[in-house]
Amino acid sequence: MAGNRPIKFRILEICSQNEGKWNYEIVEQIQKEYGLKGNFQRDSINFDIIELASGGMLQDVEVKVDEDGIYKKGFLLHKYVLTDFGKVRATDACLAYV
Amino acid sequence: MDLQALKKQEHSRRIKYGYMWALFCAVLWGLWYLPGTAVWVLNPFDQMYGEVAATSGDGVALVIVAVLITAFNAATVILALGVWNGVLGKFGEMNRTLKEFHPCSKWFFLASIFGGPMAILGSFIAMGFVGGAFAAVAALMYPVVGSILASKWYGEKITKRAFIGIVVIILGGITIFGGGVLTEIGSGNVLWIGYLGGLMAATGWGIEGAIAGKGLDIAEPDVGLTIRFIGEGIIWWIIAVPLLAIIGFPMFKYALLAFEPLTLLVLIFAGITFGFCYVSWYKSFPLIGVGRGQGIGNLYGLMAVIFIFLFFGDVPSWTILVGGALCLAGSTIMFSESTEEMESLRGD
Repeated sequence: MAGNRPIKFRILEICSQNEGKWNYEIVEQIQKEYGLKGNFQRDSINFDIIELASGGMLQDVEVKVDEDGIYKKGFLLHKYVLTDFGKVRATDACLAYV
Repeated sequence: MDLQALKKQEHSRRIKYGYMWALFCAVLWGLWYLPGTAVWVLNPFDQMYGEVAATSGDGVALVIVAVLITAFNAATVILALGVWNGVLGKFGEMNRTLKEFHPCSKWFFLASIFGGPMAILGSFIAMGFVGGAFAAVAALMYPVVGSILASKWYGEKITKRAFIGIVVIILGGITIFGGGVLTEIGSGNVLWIGYLGGLMAATGWGIEGAIAGKGLDIAEPDVGLTIRFIGEGIIWWIIAVPLLAIIGFPMFKYALLAFEPLTLLVLIFAGITFGFCYVSWYKSFPLIGVGRGQGIGNLYGLMAVIFIFLFFGDVPSWTILVGGALCLAGSTIMFSESTEEMESLRGD
């Protein structure tokens, strides 16, 4: 299943897990599943997350500073959950079981 | 640095890039009207117009030539976006998205029907018969169509502020269209089909936006936009052009003649400006919000008038300038309302 649907579908799916996910966790998982390597792909996936958030489907619930350079040292890390709108949108688009 | 300072920094960085993309969009979109207008006087389109007009009349010739020009525009946009996706390494994602017919590609193909045969064809007709500045400014009315559809289809409320914006834009539209028509009635020769083209552009883009949004929010815009243009390419090259050829118009004869350096160069310029204006438009939305993105993107009307003046030396009539200013003012009123998106982008 993983790796053969559009990336944003998978991001919504990952974020539908109850307590939410940090952006570096999502990016890492997607990179692994889709075989996307390198910093460019990493940033591209992160931009997908930003797009989903600005579309109202994800919401960031927690922010912290990346002290140890897990993602980008000195930048912000965001933790996202699926919003109600995101659930509706995901249900009629891609995730039958959400 | 502490959390607050970093939040502020991240926010201002997003805003900066967002405005940059939106401005790119406006410049590229405005630039598109240069090749769009110039291509009409280039061969083989000029010749084709003459041949078709001799047998079927000016009106038919105009539409037939516009179809071929729009078909080439779609082809060069696909080419430009194909290169773009190749560089970004997104062919895999394109394949994945294409397969999702129900949630994604269905909407892109539907959008291409209104974007292509309606909006872009209409724009080319308006450029060919009335002029680039008119075509550009007439299409500024598209947010009116878009917001009315959104309220009818998705039950989105039209706020008082948006309503005022709509009224101002419609006043601008009346000035643009009315001014041109009145002058031409005076000279006894009204190019109705050109004005119809202007209306097609505004309506088509309004509908396209409302439909495409349904699939684009859950797809990657780079990929989604390319599929939208592949849809348009299919409409022109697999359906419309062969059909017109069967009816007896010299479509393929002139399509093959288009492969000369200057014509190709102009067509590729059209493809690059048009393809990337869409891409940068969509890049700006998540960063500054759809409202601001569209508001700044609409500066294309102003850009087009400036570029046409610089390159062709055409000063548009005062009705186009006044009407265009009203449309810009109206879209600024409409789009400057939603600040919540900006708030949520800040993440606080």
